[in-house]
Amino acid sequence: MKKEKVLFVIPAYNEEENIEKVLNEIKKDASFADILVVNDCSKDNTEEIVRKNKVKCINNIFNMKYAMAVQTGIKYAQKNNYDYVIQFDADGQHIAKEAIRLLEEAKSSNADIVIGSRYIKNTGYHCPLFRRIGTKMFEIIIKLFCKQEIADPLSGFQCLNKKVIERYSKMGNYPEFPDANLVIEMLKAGYVIKEVPVKMRLRENGESMHGGIIKPIKYMTEMIYEIIFILIQSPIKKKGNK
Amino acid sequence: MKKIYFIIIALFVFFYIITEVRKKKFSVKESFWWVVASLIMVFLSFFPYSIDKLAKVFHVEYGPSLLFVFGIVFLTFINFKNSKKIAEQQEKIIELAQQVAILKEETK
Repeated sequence: MKKEKVLFVIPAYNEEENIEKVLNEIKKDASFADILVVNDCSKDNTEEIVRKNKVKCINNIFNMKYAMAVQTGIKYAQKNNYDYVIQFDADGQHIAKEAIRLLEEAKSSNADIVIGSRYIKNTGYHCPLFRRIGTKMFEIIIKLFCKQEIADPLSGFQCLNKKVIERYSKMGNYPEFPDANLVIEMLKAGYVIKEVPVKMRLRENGESMHGGIIKPIKYMTEMIYEIIFILIQSPIKKKGNK
Repeated sequence: MKKIYFIIIALFVFFYIITEVRKKKFSVKESFWWVVASLIMVFLSFFPYSIDKLAKVFHVEYGPSLLFVFGIVFLTFINFKNSKKIAEQQEKIIELAQQVAILKEETK
């Protein structure tokens, strides 16, 4: 039987303090998988550390932000015929052993996307109040319009199968924040999304991309606006899927 | 009667923008301020005297001149945003072109 190819896609921006630990953890706990770091034009030594650890590193020529870095990795996976992509953060929040659980769920079920969820079970993850409110709001919107419960639509910890890799790699309008909006779009298109409860750590070093006051407000406005358009858009039929 | 013309024009602008976004000819993100502007147009076409009330708040004697001010401010804002974006993209294109040139030389 053909061995399935799995790729960890790690977008990284100024993560010199965290990246080595993350890479070592994946090498130790998921040694069967390949790792790709997409260095989003970091100003620190992220690239040097990745290369020193003999891990594949793609350098974006200029800073394209988180989502485009993820899509670069997905495009690489599509080009190199990977069967599964695991989106993994470079800040040390995601746990490699938990990623294996996502992968097992993707392999054993009919799920196209498996989301690592912090909120299905009490995993001890303490998230800021503003983020928790946002997550709850998007959970309600998804339940209302897609008739499915997704407890953590803002989780970037996901395992994608080949069909999704194919679709994301060809999306010309891949969103700047691929969160609840993308979940809704994929559910509307007929893809199967499942959640697996996972543990996550709190970020140890560096700054979150949703920090401050203005950024979360901008994020929420853009997200709601995009969701409105996805909801008024006619459902897109998925090729080769019922 | 005039009011109906304005309502028709405003609704046409609003639905035109929405349709372009739905057809993916206009990006969702870029459409935001145009949708906001068209919604204001729709509101003003239904309640034209609201501009006079707003003018009083700003101590402007002639209501429509406030409308012109808002229009100019909005267009200047969009223009500035676009100029900024063009400058950013120009930088990125130069960077890309230089990298392609270097790669071409290296792979010769």
